Amino acid sequence: MQDCKVSAGGIELGRSNCVSAIAFRGDVSGLPNQDFEILALPLLDPLYNFARWLCGDADEARDLVQETFAKALKGFASFRQGTNFRAWMFTILRNTFLTSRTGLEWRRTEQEDEENFEESAVTHDTPEIALIRRADTEMMRQAIATLPLAFREVLLLVDIEEMRYQEVADVLRIPVGTVMSRLSRARKQLREYIVVTLGVKHEM
Amino acid sequence: MKCEWRQDVSLYVDDELEPARQQEVAAHLRRCAECAAAVMEHTELKKAVRIAGRQFSAPPELHAGIGESLRSADVRPPLWRWSFVVLSIVAVAVLGFVLFSIPRRINPEIAELVDQHITTLASASPVDVVSSDRHTVKPWFQGKLPFSFNLPELTNSRFTLAGGKVVYLGQTPGAELLYEVSKHKISIFVFQARGNERAASLSNHNLAFTVNAWSQGGLRCYLVTDASKEDASQLASMFQAANRI
Repeated sequence: MQDCKVSAGGIELGRSNCVSAIAFRGDVSGLPNQDFEILALPLLDPLYNFARWLCGDADEARDLVQETFAKALKGFASFRQGTNFRAWMFTILRNTFLTSRTGLEWRRTEQEDEENFEESAVTHDTPEIALIRRADTEMMRQAIATLPLAFREVLLLVDIEEMRYQEVADVLRIPVGTVMSRLSRARKQLREYIVVTLGVKHEM
Repeated sequence: MKCEWRQDVSLYVDDELEPARQQEVAAHLRRCAECAAAVMEHTELKKAVRIAGRQFSAPPELHAGIGESLRSADVRPPLWRWSFVVLSIVAVAVLGFVLFSIPRRINPEIAELVDQHITTLASASPVDVVSSDRHTVKPWFQGKLPFSFNLPELTNSRFTLAGGKVVYLGQTPGAELLYEVSKHKISIFVFQARGNERAASLSNHNLAFTVNAWSQGGLRCYLVTDASKEDASQLASMFQAANRI
């Protein structure tokens, strides 16, 4: 009998807590804010880093991240448990960026950007391991910064965030094939930047 | 000249190949210096991008701001206010329990028997001895159970016997007898009475299933069914009559 009392109380408590918490947040499903915090806070630095590389400006990146968190928290009820939370957060950040001043500007010029990207005559049959090793972090940052944004974002998501091509495709809403071609062109351009900057004539 | 495998190099380094292909490429790399060098170059470049690209971390005020906004969004009332809500719920629950649930308390054994009944219904072979003849079913249990019981004569009744099997409840063996009445299944469970228990008896249950329980002549019997209460008590009485000493 004692057992029953306790368990009956326990069930009631659990349920009512849950119901009230949901009622308070005014949404119909999901996880409490605590869960959002646990999932989202570790992504703060990666998201900020990505935002800085997108907008190139500290204040804008900060606003972008703040807006991303606000939107994500608001939409957390619609986030399906068990799906990719990180990709979901990056998608929100990226979409928010597209509506920002820099993002709008970029979208206007995006087409030209891709077209102006020069396919150079330099070939890459011989790897430039020694050169890449000589390139210091500052030079690599410069190299990444010179990439057209469309290439840069793919490169960063793959190499820094270690996303699968498919995840990148989902975040950026582009086909996987486009992810692959942008990635390959991004890397090609990085190599060229290194070769040119280190002043080595490529004679192969 | 480019090795034909070269196109897989970046996929290999990005770990995007199917596992089988990944292994093939790995094997190829041991043979092909050109591709091996390309893999190294790709890996170096990837590493350099990773190091250089992780350039910025969120400033402290952004950390603080985000933390704050999460907390302010979290508008649940403080814990002490919850305790009133919680206490009143406990009070209501306990009161409700005391007033209503004692007679219809679902004890774990009953719940288990209901589960067993449902399992039997869902099973492709619900019983191990398939017979409508009580003189076949009863002897089948001999040597399988440390007790015996009688089965009621069903001729001229609406009930039919479908068969039986051995079941366990709390590590003690017992019989499950499966009956049918107008397409509904009825399980009667028979176990040996335990020395220290009160005579089990209940017929009113807050379950989707009707459960009758009784003790007689050293047996503990439970009837579980989704048939009507009248059918349930009729079969229970017939069973009791058959086992009356």
